Amino acid sequence: MSGRPPPAALRALNAMRGRVSITSRLTVLFALVSTVVLLALGTLIGGTVDRHFVELDVEALAGKLEQARRILERVKTEDGLPTASRRLDEALAGQRGLAVAVAAPDGRPLFATAGAEFPESLLSRATMAGDARPSRWRAGDGTPLRGISARVQSGIDGAPPMVVGVAMDISHHEHYMMNFRATLWTCMAFAALLSGFLGWLAARRGLAPLKAMKRKAENITARRLNARLAQDAVPVELADLAATLNDMLARLEESFRRLSDFSSDLAHEFRTPISNLMTQTQVTLSKPRQPDEYREVLASNVEEYERLSNMIADMLFIAKADEGRIVPTRERLDLARLVGDLVEFHRLAADEKGVVIESGGEGAIRGDPLMIRRAVGNLLSNAIRHAPPGGRVSVTIRHAAEGGTAIDVANTGEAIPEEHLPRLFDRFYRVDASRSGDGSRSGLGLAIVKSIAEAHGGNVAVTSDEGGTCFSLWVEPAA
Amino acid sequence: MKILIVEDEAKTGDYLKQGLSEAGFVVDLARDGLDGLHLALTETYDLAVLDVMLPGIDGWKVLQGIRRAGGEFPVLFLTARDGIDDRVHGLESGADDYLVKPFAFAELLARVRTLLRRGTKAREADVLRAADLEVDPLRRRVTRAGRRIDLTAREFALLELLLRRQGEVLPRSLIASQVWDMNFDSDTNVVEVAVRRLRAKIDDDFTPRLIRTVRGMGYALEAPE
Repeated sequence: MSGRPPPAALRALNAMRGRVSITSRLTVLFALVSTVVLLALGTLIGGTVDRHFVELDVEALAGKLEQARRILERVKTEDGLPTASRRLDEALAGQRGLAVAVAAPDGRPLFATAGAEFPESLLSRATMAGDARPSRWRAGDGTPLRGISARVQSGIDGAPPMVVGVAMDISHHEHYMMNFRATLWTCMAFAALLSGFLGWLAARRGLAPLKAMKRKAENITARRLNARLAQDAVPVELADLAATLNDMLARLEESFRRLSDFSSDLAHEFRTPISNLMTQTQVTLSKPRQPDEYREVLASNVEEYERLSNMIADMLFIAKADEGRIVPTRERLDLARLVGDLVEFHRLAADEKGVVIESGGEGAIRGDPLMIRRAVGNLLSNAIRHAPPGGRVSVTIRHAAEGGTAIDVANTGEAIPEEHLPRLFDRFYRVDASRSGDGSRSGLGLAIVKSIAEAHGGNVAVTSDEGGTCFSLWVEPAA
Repeated sequence: MKILIVEDEAKTGDYLKQGLSEAGFVVDLARDGLDGLHLALTETYDLAVLDVMLPGIDGWKVLQGIRRAGGEFPVLFLTARDGIDDRVHGLESGADDYLVKPFAFAELLARVRTLLRRGTKAREADVLRAADLEVDPLRRRVTRAGRRIDLTAREFALLELLLRRQGEVLPRSLIASQVWDMNFDSDTNVVEVAVRRLRAKIDDDFTPRLIRTVRGMGYALEAPE
């Protein structure tokens, strides 16, 4: 059953159900529930009143039966029967709508008042004790009757008991019940409608905070992402939703801010070199020159192009990392070796500057060898660049207190003012506004370190004081 | 040496053709995949430079066509995308090398020469010479004008690289990867420093100067004619 796709009609219904407003749902639900409750209540009340009438009827009928019994008990011989009939007639005369029938045990009718038509089933199930269970039937003219029956021992010795049936016209009861039921169900129907309407009102009122939230949300645009939904002013049930939406807005705002910063950085970073290139080339072309001069300009252009090209490549890398599209491989990396190779590579540059470079510690991580190498390489060249001549750069591999492995790249030198520290990893961030970038080829070196660390589920941090500056690249423990 | 270039971008194609022709190769240029494949199957080439994105049929298809027809020459791919997928795809379909646009022409030239040299046996044992500079790779001995020069291991590797590819301009990235086995995406002046130190040892006290800086492109070792 479950494997079969639901029929088209059911699918359409399901689809529709998804679209119906909460107010309509609640209204229908209220109306349904109150209708069911009122129906049950109506049935109960109707049944109780009806039963009450039956009890009254049976009580009256039992009295008549008792009278008949007494009269019949006094009959001592067969010949007394006509007398008994007369007496019965007298006893029950004037009682409108009352019918009595007496039959011999063999079913032969002995006595019957006018209009006494008893169903065979009622008479045949008569017992000595008297049958309390009343029967209800209709006479030939349509009159509703209710009657009981009993076997009665007459005074005639040895004769088997006779069957006595007593019935009464209950048309007035029926009439009353009909009216009563009509009134009852009309009221119930009204009540159901009313509760449906009240349900609708309640749902509307109850959902008003949602509407208010919607109005608020409608006002949020890319330009006004700083707007937030009021979390305290909405009911508890909605506070969670509001908080979630607010979180989403905060993330969106952050992404938007970064995107817009990125675009303006991009424009700014490209504008200067390109305008330089243009000016320089135009000046060169403005008059005939020696081949050497042309060569010089072209060479300097190439250097600039190379820088721009590197910048584009770096920016693409960071943009991809931001989108989570950089997926590092997870190879086991011997950090001591990796750092050793890098230190050896950079040693020349350090020597040149009179900076001592040293490394220590060991550890292993799982990561992408090219990326980790690039990250540590960037930190190293950054440290060498910022260490003063005669300074010292040290690379230390250590087990981090929080688990995992950290690579510290420290250099001696001036402290970086504290307000710059958290922003050092932003792309194109400048500690000194007059200097371009972080001094790396694209101004993106540290931003790339951060992207690589995060792609590996790690992070990068920096501390700085009079003793120097230390960058820590932390990567998750090797599994 | 004959090279086929399949490149639909007009300027890139023209400059590649000019650059490679001036570097001493015979160059055919096709502007789309169909022409390229046709040329590749009818002419004989030593190497092909294929752009991945081509009108008609793309670079992968051209390569498939070449390999199916039994073309064995090396193929270098050019692509604007640097996705790992592309790289894997390229290498799986039988490309020999791979360059991401924008690339430096010097880099392309160096790689083309590397690919062409592959297969031809390098004469390892020989003593390498340029003017009065002699390098014996086996005994790791360097002399200039008969005077013995001591080099560090890296300096020796650098000099050997420059000598083996005499006359070629070697970009910094290629030097970093051949001498230090470093991917050159970090920013450092290590190669400049290394070249300067090597020069101090083999060039500064001698004439003629052998190591030449080609601004914006790289370094070359050349004995003047």
